[in-house]
Amino acid sequence: MSALLPFAAAGNGLTDWLAGLFPAGVPFWILGLLGAVIAFALIMVFVSVLAMFSTWLERKVAGHIQVRYGPMRVGGWHGWAQAIADGVKLLIKEDIVLADADRALFKIAPCLVLGAALAAFVALPFGPNAIVADLDLGVFFILAVSSVTTLGVIMAGWGSNNKWSLYGAMREAAQVASYEIPLGLSLMMPVMYYGSLSLHRAGEMQADWFGLHWYVFSDSFWLAIPSFILFFTAALAETKRSPFDLPESESELVAGFHTEYSGIRFSFFFMEEYAAMYLMSAVGTAFWFGAWNFPGLELLAGSALYAPLAVTVFVVKSMILVFVMMWVRWTVPRIRIDQVMTMGYKYLTPLCLILVFLASVWEWAKAALTGA
Amino acid sequence: MASLQQPAAPANERSYWGNVWQAVKSTAVGLGITFRYLWSKPFTVQYPDEKLPTDDRYRGIHYLEQDLCIYCQACAKACPVDCISMDAKRHGKELEWNFFRVDYQKCMFCELCVYPCPKDCIHMGREYALVAEDRSEFVLELTTWQGLTEAQKVRVAEAEAKKAAKKAAKKAAAAAKEDKEGEEK
Repeated sequence: MSALLPFAAAGNGLTDWLAGLFPAGVPFWILGLLGAVIAFALIMVFVSVLAMFSTWLERKVAGHIQVRYGPMRVGGWHGWAQAIADGVKLLIKEDIVLADADRALFKIAPCLVLGAALAAFVALPFGPNAIVADLDLGVFFILAVSSVTTLGVIMAGWGSNNKWSLYGAMREAAQVASYEIPLGLSLMMPVMYYGSLSLHRAGEMQADWFGLHWYVFSDSFWLAIPSFILFFTAALAETKRSPFDLPESESELVAGFHTEYSGIRFSFFFMEEYAAMYLMSAVGTAFWFGAWNFPGLELLAGSALYAPLAVTVFVVKSMILVFVMMWVRWTVPRIRIDQVMTMGYKYLTPLCLILVFLASVWEWAKAALTGA
Repeated sequence: MASLQQPAAPANERSYWGNVWQAVKSTAVGLGITFRYLWSKPFTVQYPDEKLPTDDRYRGIHYLEQDLCIYCQACAKACPVDCISMDAKRHGKELEWNFFRVDYQKCMFCELCVYPCPKDCIHMGREYALVAEDRSEFVLELTTWQGLTEAQKVRVAEAEAKKAAKKAAKKAAAAAKEDKEGEEK
């Protein structure tokens, strides 16, 4: 029964610790509920800290790419406390709900958006035994849940009763619906290589070669590299990041779907953006760049340092990909909506299909030749 | 109508794979450029802490050489917006300054006050930042001292002593003359 609890994957100590706190007769659902609360708290804290750090990093990256400094004053060293100041400002701002807005949709939308992004964190393997739920459907679950975000965005755009918001929401719907296809297809290459949809399993399979048997260094590297480029492009479109930030393109749609939001509700959209960025980067890390594996880390297996170091390696790798997303944002100008559609349907999707075909032949040939 | 016709397809239209290659290549080149800029030294300065130098002929907040000023009001008369006001008391040649104010809510930094000055003692300075929470703080005092300085006091005292001595000498001379006249009578 305890295998069904949160944190139960890979002999996670938290489950045993949780079960040990109570006498043997405690109903299963109490343990499950408690585990879920702890999991939620951990993810919420992680995403909040991550969003704060990422906003600061984004502003620094933007600044230095434009040959200026970015935030420098708040908190002393390079404005490190800027994000905290911004967060406090957003919390104490007036929460405005328009008189003509669809109140229910307007209020549910930010919660749905952030909730969907947070839910997807459940299946992320932060370390060999730091995963909330090692789902067999791992990456499928992440894709499915994170696309609920789109529903929230459409609700926000419609509920705001503002034509710019609605334009933003419609673009989001069109864009996400068309980029779901290449995103899902580009994930097929690693899935075929690992023979599993579970991100945790992918992490375990990349542990050989002294922690360097990553998908991009494996015998399928010639599939891994183009599929990663396609995945990353589709992920940028999924997370509404520039050059695909049409849903909120500030020069034409004010702020797109979150034009009418203020205060804490606005900050929910903001947190969702950074949570989604991290989520896509983490999927990329887990499938292409060896998850928590790093040369030399295996030597520490069994010591108390191993688990925290593995989590650190995973987070740092993902943050490097988040940095690349920011780097792309300040390099490539926003493209037009027809160019977005052309790119999705005429380029990414056919290229992904070709790669899926090549990968299926390749992986089948490998299995046939090695007699597996 | 030529303008309504379909524009001719560009001669060097790229193929499908050419487009793919171009997209990947141009993005990579762009990323390389921005990565170089990312590590370059920022061009901007941290303004309140560091300031860029202004030109010599920059027209900023006035600078008054108070020891040269003769309280002739030429600058105040020349000012098109009447932003200069001053008050001083004369002690013979010495001036006892009360105030010399410029109202920077009115001042338009036209430099017309500088030209008529016979002593060349009012200048446009280099300072440009005026930040205040109250309007009254925009009225700046240009004098560096009010009243008489110690040196001026000495000079005024000397002049007065000289005057007094002269007066006394005159009086004495007059008295002597009177005496002489009296004797003659």
